Amino acid sequence: MFQGLNFEPVVLPETADALRKEVRAFLDEETGWFPNSDFNTGASAEFSQRLAKRGWVGMTWPKKYGGSERSFLERYVVTEELLAAGAPVAAHWIADRQSGPLLLKFGTEEQRQRFLPPITRGESFFSIGMSEPDTGSDLASIRTSAVKVDGGWLVNGSKIWTSGAHLNHYMVALVRTEPASENRHAGMSQLLIGFDDPNVTVRGIKNLAGESDFNQVFFDDVLVPDDQVIGEPGNGWVQVISELGYERSGPERFLSSFLVIQELLREVGSNPTDEQAALIGKLVAELVTLRRMSISVAGMLEEGKAPNTEAALIKELGNTFERIVPEIVRPVLPQDASAHFLATLNDAILHAPSFTLRGGTREILRGVIARGLGLR
Amino acid sequence: MREETRLIIETTNRILSDLCTPGVVDATESGQFATQLWQTLNENGLILAGLPEHLGGAGGEMGDSLTVIRCAARFAAPIPIAETFIAASLANFVGATSFSGGVVTVANGEFELSENNTLTGKANNVAFARWADRIYIPAKQQGASVLCVVDRDAVELTEQVSIAGEPRDTIEVNLVIDAADIYQAPSELQDYARRLGAMTRSVMMSGALESALELVVDYSLTRQQFGRSISKFQAIQHQLATMAGEVAASIRAADSLAQLQQPVELEVAFAKSRVGQACGPCAEVAHQVMGAIGYTLEHHLNHRTRRLWCWREEYGNERQWQELIGHEMCRTGADELWPRVASL
Ligand SMILES: Cc1cc2nc3c(=O)[nH]c(=O)nc-3n(C[C@H](O)[C@H](O)[C@H](O)COP(=O)(O)OP(=O)(O)OC[C@H]3O[C@@H](n4cnc5c(N)ncnc54)[C@H](O)[C@@H]3O)c2cc1C
Repeated sequence: MFQGLNFEPVVLPETADALRKEVRAFLDEETGWFPNSDFNTGASAEFSQRLAKRGWVGMTWPKKYGGSERSFLERYVVTEELLAAGAPVAAHWIADRQSGPLLLKFGTEEQRQRFLPPITRGESFFSIGMSEPDTGSDLASIRTSAVKVDGGWLVNGSKIWTSGAHLNHYMVALVRTEPASENRHAGMSQLLIGFDDPNVTVRGIKNLAGESDFNQVFFDDVLVPDDQVIGEPGNGWVQVISELGYERSGPERFLSSFLVIQELLREVGSNPTDEQAALIGKLVAELVTLRRMSISVAGMLEEGKAPNTEAALIKELGNTFERIVPEIVRPVLPQDASAHFLATLNDAILHAPSFTLRGGTREILRGVIARGLGLR
Repeated sequence: MREETRLIIETTNRILSDLCTPGVVDATESGQFATQLWQTLNENGLILAGLPEHLGGAGGEMGDSLTVIRCAARFAAPIPIAETFIAASLANFVGATSFSGGVVTVANGEFELSENNTLTGKANNVAFARWADRIYIPAKQQGASVLCVVDRDAVELTEQVSIAGEPRDTIEVNLVIDAADIYQAPSELQDYARRLGAMTRSVMMSGALESALELVVDYSLTRQQFGRSISKFQAIQHQLATMAGEVAASIRAADSLAQLQQPVELEVAFAKSRVGQACGPCAEVAHQVMGAIGYTLEHHLNHRTRRLWCWREEYGNERQWQELIGHEMCRTGADELWPRVASL
């Protein structure tokens, strides 16, 4: 039997039901956004702050850093409810999912005390700074450099596709602190860079849907103090890899087009044709299976495991699903589909190309899975 | 995983690797029942692992039976272990106090029991009927459901085989049944049988898919072309990665069934449609990666892929179960869709 193909069933904790109801009640009070289940789409600092007030940002973290010490599976419930409702989660998403856990794992005590509480209050938002103009999938080829100077590091170079850079407070940037050598994965470090630094420039880039979600960021002699290095200088690659289980296995990897399915149900009503019913059945069966696989991985993360192959499998299957939903729904639409439905559908069509790119392309994920199979 | 489950898997796999070799599987295609395999599994309490003791079972849970059935499918075991499970579960469902034991199968077709207990009707695709001792037949009597048990020798049997080369015989019945072999049943008997059948086929497909993946991955590591193993080609890696995704989803979908105490319709529908949908694409990858040798009866990949093509059609193919799910979800309605999904 292969490692990584078995997703042991995990049951959500007893507290999940009550928590789910609380989140739904909270969402019932929230209005003013066009729902979109894509986690990249829709950022509202105010929404994130109200969510944080309920203790749902950084909810798994220790109380001494402002967290609620809830379980990873409880966090799962909150995140899937937010995505299914199409809430504007982009502002706090990365800090909550990734940057905070990174600091908990590799940060100093001083860094945790300084950066984590503001995140849990919904006042501090983070971006991921990995991609560069000449670096996409081949992450080890980054060129943004940080040179040691008195008291810190002098950063020069540029990051691109940085989601939320125009709204957020910090970037966790992967930079070269030593020139590239034979060992391609050596000599990289993670730095916390404030977007308020005058030597940092952010230029918005419009995506296919016309939104300004991502940016190019330029560093021009940016001085990053020593206490904003995360973990050991030179250990950047290992640290980046350790984030992948969190980054790739969550509900955001298969729910991005959820609202298309929900609104399709509204269109066809209680009396669908058999063809429409079969398609809906196929989509729901896939959704239920993916969700259960994803919950299995949340259970593994809770146990402190590093299920990287499993996470890649979920992302590959999940992205394929969310990308194909708007395509296969089109042919079964009723003739008189409503304007609301078409808006939801077009929104999904315009965002779909990003699903199999962001967070590791489909081809890269297949490579990770192939490694898990022992092929490479 | 429960300790009992682990133990069941271990024992079953040991017996199967000894007694369910590719040679044994091929021999059944030329008409020879795998008697020793059947008897050994039976002696070890595995044939009816999940049935209560008064029906000759080992007193385990339904999931135990499904676990054994899945292991058997990994080895392409050409025995009616799924059919015996279905028959015994039907006996359990109708409150029977005993089960005939031996080699048993189920016939799903149009059967009518008259007032004077004459059973008439016909069924196609009766798995392994020619080798069975007894056949369990869901029938109707004046609109009500009854479960009848008949001797194999009492029915008229036409031998047929499936695309996998396994017996799928046609039987015709016209005989008076002993009252002791008739059980009054809840009206949903036929439907219950269909759900049990779809459950077995789902776990069987997940097992065969997993073992097909193992075979093909192994092959890709050893087969050399252009001076290296073909597993080094990215085109091959990506095909196998895609297959692995389908297999992983199928295993997870089938695992949900092993946790049930009853064949819950919607759960069966999710599993049968999700796993059934994986068979075509996975068989395609498996055969492509294996080249010409995979396209022979000499290589035992055929034991897996041919069974996948058979099982995906049995007890409702994916399209039929998808329709059922879809109609159910449309009754649920757009606003309740998410709450429903999240409750599953
Ligand atoms: C909506 C969105 C938000 C994003 N947000 C961020 C962010 O916040 N921070 C950040 O750092 N980055 C972000 N990204 C960037 C994302 O991580 C990259 O797009 C991704 O890593 C791929 O890089 P690339 O776009 O340069 O494509 P490339 O790497 O140039 O790839 C182009 C094509 O070649 C294929 N390819 C590349 N290498 C191989 C190989 N070895 N084998 C086979 N095929 C290969 C790829 O799969 C792809 O199909 C975002 C992207 C999107 C779309």
